[in-house]
Amino acid sequence: MDLYLPIAEMPMNVFLLLGMGAAVGFLSGMFGVGGGFLLTPLLIFSGISPAVAVASVSSQIVANSASGVLAYLRKKTVDLKLGLYLTLSGIIGSTLGVWVYGVLRGLGQLDVVIALCYVAFLGTIGVLMAVEAVRAIIAKRRGTPLPVRRPGQHGWIAGLPLRIRFHRSRLYISALPVIALGASIGFLGALLGIGGGFIMVPALIYLLRVPTTIVIGTTLLQTLGTMAFTTFMQSTMNETVDVILGLALMVGGVVGAQFGARVGQSLRGETLRLLLGLLVLSVGLRFAVDLVAMPEELYSISRMGGG
Amino acid sequence: MIRALLLAATLALVPSLPRAETLVTALSTERVSIESNFTGSGVVIFGTIERDQQTVSRGAPYEIVVTLTGPLRSMVARRKERVAGIWINRAARDLSRVPSFLAIATTAPMADVAGNPVRAKQGLGFDMLPTRGLPDALPPVRTEFDAAFFRLMQDKGLFSLDESSVEFLSPQLFRAPIALPANVPIGWYTATVYLFSGGVLLAETTQDFSILKGGFEQAITNLAHQRPALYGLATVVVACFTGWLAGVAFRKD
Repeated sequence: MDLYLPIAEMPMNVFLLLGMGAAVGFLSGMFGVGGGFLLTPLLIFSGISPAVAVASVSSQIVANSASGVLAYLRKKTVDLKLGLYLTLSGIIGSTLGVWVYGVLRGLGQLDVVIALCYVAFLGTIGVLMAVEAVRAIIAKRRGTPLPVRRPGQHGWIAGLPLRIRFHRSRLYISALPVIALGASIGFLGALLGIGGGFIMVPALIYLLRVPTTIVIGTTLLQTLGTMAFTTFMQSTMNETVDVILGLALMVGGVVGAQFGARVGQSLRGETLRLLLGLLVLSVGLRFAVDLVAMPEELYSISRMGGG
Repeated sequence: MIRALLLAATLALVPSLPRAETLVTALSTERVSIESNFTGSGVVIFGTIERDQQTVSRGAPYEIVVTLTGPLRSMVARRKERVAGIWINRAARDLSRVPSFLAIATTAPMADVAGNPVRAKQGLGFDMLPTRGLPDALPPVRTEFDAAFFRLMQDKGLFSLDESSVEFLSPQLFRAPIALPANVPIGWYTATVYLFSGGVLLAETTQDFSILKGGFEQAITNLAHQRPALYGLATVVVACFTGWLAGVAFRKD
């Protein structure tokens, strides 16, 4: 059954859309990430223009993170103050991202920048996660405990000026890295159509030393705020959000996420991180191959001024 | 003055001049509406060649060319080049006011219907369609960017050429069915019918019709482009609501 997407101006099979939403939702529920980094490329590969894909996925991420935030709020594992700081700086980054997006589209270099960013970020994060998970698995097999991080230990990053106390996370750290982190995730989110959870979660754990229990809920809160704003910005500045496309992805996504979360809880943490690392890495590799391999068609056409 | 009078007198003496044929054409629809289940459609162009006793008899058969042209748009064609190991868009060429959709249907191969100079003047055929400016007496100069444009538009199903799809139902009556693919651009279309005989253009008609989105699809598009802030807010609200609903529906406790 085909569904005509009014903003994308093309029909797409509704079951394909629901299926893609559900598959990505399943993975995102399992790993606790938004899944935008999988969904946006999937849509682009299936023929939707990058402009509409990136903008519409942001609305799907809003739905996904909204249901996640509610669950974590009930469990009281969200640092509202930290989330607010990250969201506000994320909004600044997002504004910049939407603007850069429009400029690159006009120059015809949007696709290559998106691909390069995917390779850089997914490659780095994927390798880091996989290596860390393999280490943890080996350490567990040998029975040697990994060095435990104490919450009081901060790196030089936390010691920068403008220190703020985040009670819920039991942190007293500089606001500068928090703002920088939020802004760069917001920027990347708008530019690449990703929630950025897969960057935010390790950054909060390893750079800011936020307790692991608080990390996911707080990240989801930041994702919700930033992506709601991004959806609004993409609607007003680029007019490329397809609400019908977004809705089909949302419905598939939120259902898939529930089942993914159940599977995720039955897997061990290290195994989960290793799988996620490999998944992230393989998407990055796919983009790298496309960049390096000789394209079948060297030419492309687009409407002047984007689209 | 005398010459003019003589000419007038000569003309008056001739009982009646041989008259050219006239074309009468009609479209099967004046408006294609795109609903949520739209997967493509079609339009049929009907026509009749009208002649009377004064019309000269032609040695060559009648040939019909039908073009259906979508809204004109300015496009950019880009070519990828390898830079530091990766393929990026480098050279680009603007294509000014080219059709976003072009279907050409004929009774015979285009080259047999009319010669290059005749078609160049009309901008008729993929090889004669101007990509920079208006049709000229000379065939347009083609670059590899133009070639890529025509190739890609054909790959997308937006440009098509069928050199046998115009069908004569009687010596004077013909029909030309044209398929509209699912990704057909929205807007005003012009159907132009050309009547040729022996490589000479005898008559030409044009007719407009529109491809518009249906009620619901159009309402969404209007909102997205005319009230983008409201549309953005509504999308965010819908997304939050969907998320909340899922959270409630799947709540385990």
